[in-house]
Amino acid sequence: MAANPAIELKDVSLSFGSNQILTGIDMSVDPGEFVCVIGASGSGKTTLLRMIAGLLTPTTGKVFSNGKPVLKPSRHVAVVFQDYGRALLPWRRAFANVSLPLEASGMPAKDRPARIRELLAKVGLAHHEDKFPGQLSGGMQQRLQIARALAQEPDTLLMDEPFGALDAMTRQTLQDEVLRLVSERKTTVFFVTHDIEEALYLGDRVVALDSNPGRVAYDIKVPLPRPRDQLTTREHPEFLRLRREMFEIMNKIHA
Amino acid sequence: MKRFRIADIALGIAGLIVLLLLWQLVTSLELISRVFLPSPAATISALEWGLVNGDLLPQTLATVNRMIQGWLLASLVAIAIGSLIGVSPVARAYIQPTLEFLRPLPASAIIPVAISLFGLNASMVLGVVVFGAVWPTLLGTIHGFAHVEPRLVEVSRLLQMSRWEFIYKIGLPNAVPDILAGMRLSLTVALILAVVGELLTAQEGLGTAVLHAARSYRAADLYAGILLLGLIGLVSNYGLAIADKRILAWKN
Repeated sequence: MAANPAIELKDVSLSFGSNQILTGIDMSVDPGEFVCVIGASGSGKTTLLRMIAGLLTPTTGKVFSNGKPVLKPSRHVAVVFQDYGRALLPWRRAFANVSLPLEASGMPAKDRPARIRELLAKVGLAHHEDKFPGQLSGGMQQRLQIARALAQEPDTLLMDEPFGALDAMTRQTLQDEVLRLVSERKTTVFFVTHDIEEALYLGDRVVALDSNPGRVAYDIKVPLPRPRDQLTTREHPEFLRLRREMFEIMNKIHA
Repeated sequence: MKRFRIADIALGIAGLIVLLLLWQLVTSLELISRVFLPSPAATISALEWGLVNGDLLPQTLATVNRMIQGWLLASLVAIAIGSLIGVSPVARAYIQPTLEFLRPLPASAIIPVAISLFGLNASMVLGVVVFGAVWPTLLGTIHGFAHVEPRLVEVSRLLQMSRWEFIYKIGLPNAVPDILAGMRLSLTVALILAVVGELLTAQEGLGTAVLHAARSYRAADLYAGILLLGLIGLVSNYGLAIADKRILAWKN
């Protein structure tokens, strides 16, 4: 018997009052799979992520995480938000921000520092543990949020346009870092973006959402070899072919 | 928050010197009788004599003690009730109307009530100080809790933090700037009420010292007492401003 999907949505829909946000979403993500969800703003992709996180309850249908229904947030599922400036605790230094999930999970205080330093080193913030988030650049703050999410040792990582607010260079660096970090632990990733190239570069699969109300329009596999590379992957004929296909799909959706 | 710049300090001292010169001018020209307004020199020497030979020092300490005790107690009560109201809609529904009823009452107007409850003693004065000084910090705490970044509420939910963990790891730290602002206002209120309480109950302290000096036409002693009160306010406010800057280092 195959293992349970890491994430499964069965005929999920959500409405706020008479406002239908998502309808008839059926989706399944295998353990260790990297799935990117793209769609225009207002297509409900963030809402979808929030339901998987257990922050929102669907109006109808069910959401499962590792075969269990999602009724509330779980420590096995970590979220990285786009607005790192708001998601970090501004009064805690980088070190103490990473400490937060460890405190919440009840890790003994004496075991925390080593783990925190290991995580900070993984995201390249080893020399910034004493800085407050406000003293870090945007890219570094997002790295810090990623380190905090990894501190949960999540099976599933939900990322909501995490690089949307960063410049192109930082964005590419962080894309590669995320790929490296999640491949180490075979973490399942649900990655929301509005950038087609980013979705193709990162994902094993790309799911495109149609808007008003949000629903799955296309679901394609990305058979590009790993590890991926900013130059060779982006110049790969298959990448270019998929990029054209996705652009055409998105244009059709929004026509 | 900006650093205290040397230029600002110099300006502040210059302002005090101008005030002193004006005072000297008014007394030299005898625009006001010396019985009512002594010269700065007379006041300073009365201050010196009172501190060294008289009982001005224990009286100052008594007032400062009362002020700080009342202020700390008020801050503690304010932060506790404020946090409770801040995280619990039920508690808010219960307590808020009562608070809105009590808040506009002038602290001095409840002194008769306090006298009948506690008698004419030190704990009555302390009670009044606490009652008056609790409001700025209470409102600051409630405000701070009400303005927690929604994203951080989500983070606390994602990490399944308990309500207690939320209070002391997110709610309270978030409210600290508002709490400190409230505590600074509250310290001034505490000083005022400590003195008023002393005036009314003849407890040891600067309030009583000032009243006695005025009643016996010892103008220099009266002004010495007032000078000390001003100094207490000045020093405590600067002390808190420096504490503010250290505690709120993350805001810079």
